[in-house]
Amino acid sequence: MKHPELATLALHAGGDLGPLARWRARRHLAKCETCRAEIAGFDAARGILPELSAIPEVPWNRLAAEMKANIRLGLAAGECVRVEDGPRLGAPLFAWTRAAAALASVVVLVAAGFVLERPAPRMDTAGFQGVELQSTANGIQVREGGGALGLLHNGAEARDVNYTPGAQGSMRAQNVDSETGYVTVTNVYAN
Amino acid sequence: MRIRTLGRLAALGWVGAATLMAQGYPLPSGSISIKFPDDSPVLFSGSLTDQSRATARGAAMAIDLRLSMLLRNVSGSRQIHGVTLRVVSQEVAVGGKGSVTYPSLHVGPGESFPVRLEMQLMRPTQTVNGPLVEVNLDGVLFGDLTFYGPNRLNSKRTMTAEELEARRDREYFKRALAQNGVAGLQSAVLESLVRQSERPRLDALVIRGGPSVAASANPAQENTANFAFVRFPDSPVAPISGSARISGNEASAPRVQVRNNSGKTVKYFELGWLVSDPSGQQYLAASLPASDAGLMLRPAGTAQVMQDTALRFTRNGQPVRVQGMTGFVSQVEFENGEMWIPSRQTLESAALLRLLAPSAEEQRLSDLYRRNGMNALLEDLKRY
Repeated sequence: MKHPELATLALHAGGDLGPLARWRARRHLAKCETCRAEIAGFDAARGILPELSAIPEVPWNRLAAEMKANIRLGLAAGECVRVEDGPRLGAPLFAWTRAAAALASVVVLVAAGFVLERPAPRMDTAGFQGVELQSTANGIQVREGGGALGLLHNGAEARDVNYTPGAQGSMRAQNVDSETGYVTVTNVYAN
Repeated sequence: MRIRTLGRLAALGWVGAATLMAQGYPLPSGSISIKFPDDSPVLFSGSLTDQSRATARGAAMAIDLRLSMLLRNVSGSRQIHGVTLRVVSQEVAVGGKGSVTYPSLHVGPGESFPVRLEMQLMRPTQTVNGPLVEVNLDGVLFGDLTFYGPNRLNSKRTMTAEELEARRDREYFKRALAQNGVAGLQSAVLESLVRQSERPRLDALVIRGGPSVAASANPAQENTANFAFVRFPDSPVAPISGSARISGNEASAPRVQVRNNSGKTVKYFELGWLVSDPSGQQYLAASLPASDAGLMLRPAGTAQVMQDTALRFTRNGQPVRVQGMTGFVSQVEFENGEMWIPSRQTLESAALLRLLAPSAEEQRLSDLYRRNGMNALLEDLKRY
């Protein structure tokens, strides 16, 4: 027998299921002792929740009242200091400074969007249907479809990296890791 | 009032831009799965990926993965001379995978050594299901040339060949020291550094599958060119004939026939493939490995290498027209696991040494001299 998710049973115990889900849960509970026990457990847990709100050390109700009063006070203070600077008669709706500022903001957003949306220069993946392997500015990569995997040798001078393509479909790079001093040979393969 | 409004709008713009720029976020734990076998002779510890980040690129996602860890030799009594890690990201490129090998090691029992992996992934979607990358141990080569590991990338053969090259070139520098003292060693190292810096290089794009391999971009310019061969007297395998299609700066579909001249069965061989430009300048174009995974080339038998790939060559961003091609046998593995590589003298006398990339050990030793001086090199040569 397939049992409903625990979350579903919990929602059912709280009366929060939709009509169809509630009907299905009831149908299952009618013939499942295990799930009925789960529901009973949830009911018991809900039963002690009101007791939590009455914990004597934490005066929740008084705290709530104070918070509401503080919010009202803040709003009232804001009203007192607010400067009446609504649109004046004869003032243009779009002053040139506002328009310029808005335009500048749009330019900034468009530029940021362009920077983020541009293709990554080292991971060109468009317009090819086979598998390509090549060296890049700081590593080697294999790309296929819209995906690419590159192994990098950051920190190595270009002249210190030796590349060897493999005619079976591979690319190899060999360099000395400047941090560890060990020779590192990376390979990417087409298959 | 205007200044205040302008300031507010500018601040709003910058907040918006900053929010957009902040789409890069640290990768969740579990993005990199590192799995070593239970009985592995190396254990990893202290893995660190705190600089790994993901950044949205439109509908795609660019991921920078940085992994640092320590590998420890727990083999008991054997010295580790090479380790290969396999890096797989199935969701990124179907079947695309990579590896990182650390050759020329001398890691004794109980000793540790640091490794770094830096990867960049471009995923076509931003959906993340499970680890982005799996790092597994593919093999460990010991000083006695025994091997441990699943060997899914043929790292046993690759690391054994690298180890033989390392011994050959280490011996070359030791001999220079023994015969001509420190001045002789210095001369040999400087000669190596000059050769490495002056080695003619090409940028190559390897293409497998797709329209570029199936048909040339300009069939009118395409022709079939034959290989010339450099034959080594002591090579167990000799090239007989070979050709490839050439079109401008692209060479594709190489075919080479070889003969087993040794008395032992050969299960793998590899050729070096040189191309020359119209001025006659030669470059190492690629390695050309045997294409038959189940090869068993009996003595006096022949076999053919066929690879359906295309290589496109450029130099400083400009296409380099392929004028001629040369091949030579660079590696042979026998059925019993023994390997043959050309000697240093053979490569030098065939004028190939100046064209080939240095071995890992030659590069390590010359780099040690360049960074830390003669005393550090002498110390290293004395140690092993």
